[in-house]
Amino acid sequence: MRVHADLRLKDVPGQLVRALEPISTSEGNIVGVVHHHDAVIGGRITVNVTFEVKSQKQLERILADWKERDVDVARLSSMFETFEFEYLIVGDIPPAELRELTDGIESMEDLDAVDIRYSVSPATGEKAAMIFGKVKQKSAMGRVEDFLRQRSMQAGFLLISGLGD
Amino acid sequence: MDIVIVGFGTVGQGVAEALSRKAPTLQSAFKEKLRVVGVFDSKSYDVSPKGLDPREVAGRKQKLGRVGPELNGKGVLEILEEVDYDVMVEVTPTNIKDSEPGFSNMMFALSSGRDVVTANKGPLALKFKELSRTAEKNGGRLRFEASVGGATPVINLSREILMGERILSIRGIVNGTCNFILNRMKDEGLPFDQALREAQEMGYAERDPSYDIDGIDSAAKAAILANAIFRRDVTFHDVRRTGIRGVSLEAVELAAEERKVVRLIAEVSESRLEVSPRLVPIGHPLAIGGTLNIFQLMTDLAGDITVAGHGAGKMETASAILSDIVALLKEDCASRKKEA
Repeated sequence: MRVHADLRLKDVPGQLVRALEPISTSEGNIVGVVHHHDAVIGGRITVNVTFEVKSQKQLERILADWKERDVDVARLSSMFETFEFEYLIVGDIPPAELRELTDGIESMEDLDAVDIRYSVSPATGEKAAMIFGKVKQKSAMGRVEDFLRQRSMQAGFLLISGLGD
Repeated sequence: MDIVIVGFGTVGQGVAEALSRKAPTLQSAFKEKLRVVGVFDSKSYDVSPKGLDPREVAGRKQKLGRVGPELNGKGVLEILEEVDYDVMVEVTPTNIKDSEPGFSNMMFALSSGRDVVTANKGPLALKFKELSRTAEKNGGRLRFEASVGGATPVINLSREILMGERILSIRGIVNGTCNFILNRMKDEGLPFDQALREAQEMGYAERDPSYDIDGIDSAAKAAILANAIFRRDVTFHDVRRTGIRGVSLEAVELAAEERKVVRLIAEVSESRLEVSPRLVPIGHPLAIGGTLNIFQLMTDLAGDITVAGHGAGKMETASAILSDIVALLKEDCASRKKEA
């Protein structure tokens, strides 16, 4: 998760280090820091900090630490980087199996979204299902793939994966 | 440079023709005489220390079905013991079960410090390490550009021109027959069986198409790329392989609705070795149609590099073999200059 925070710090030496410390001690990754020395409001200067954390819990720890250190957070926004996956499943797929596939993926940690399209040929009865989705961590892509591979192997479906670009 | 051609089917005859056409240019460029001193097919042979006319031998093969006197129970290697040559062009048919007779032929040449140029996938996909160790130990050189991608230069591109790069992965379409079938399914709405029959009628697929459609050919090529480019120690059996037999028209049409095509992709990296049908966005280089082969190399400095070309065919394969012969001539020429 990438986080943008506008911090208002007392205009005295050592305050910036004091504000950044909670990010590094929580193993967050500082991406950028911008000072606004000219914007002094109530004796405080504004600093924009952009950093990455792995979870909401990690962010909450940093926020609690800032509160303890009297770091004023004027604005906070966060954004998840997502990774897309897509699979095509071919075979005699019963509708109940589709439900189980989506339930299985939905129960996974770091899932952002999952969608499924099902198609049955009126002429031949051939069935195919396309599964699309997004995860918040790259490592979750592997978990989705392992799950679908295992299910497809058990049920005798052909699993066609996307390029993963 | 004295060459023997072992295997004189379509590819061997293509090599003979290519050498006839290009020998004068190459001789003048590298100041070295290029002679074919022996030709062997499965039943017959012709040898001459003064050099054969490769075109004449090819004509004889087409007319009589043999290249010269019958082997009469003698083995090719037995006759080769008596022949003085520098390079063996090994183009016997690929055997993915036990790699013979290609493996024994190549080992024979490499053990005596001769160079081998081959298009034969079997020995490379099953016993790559043994072949390369034998070559290294005895000072022979083993080149095999024609074994993967036909005329599309992927092996020498990766190992020589891109030597300074770290190649992170290679993805490619390495079997034109599968690509033809998948493309016909999408473009013409043909069911798999009908598209396969069409490929067989047009001569792209064999009567027993399993070698292509079950991904066996692609997996052999993936194993060669893994060994040659990623320095892995793998065989054809280590490749995770899924063919295209189960790809239904319904699946192809559902993919098309999402602006995707299905392609049989070989993917090789330090950690991945797989051949399987994949979803490729329309407009992506790997969505290429027809019977072409294509390779996408991901590198650390240059980014993505894509090469495409004809993956099979008499003169296309001969072209890749010729490129290896030229590379040997070039190296010899450089060593001569160094010694002088």
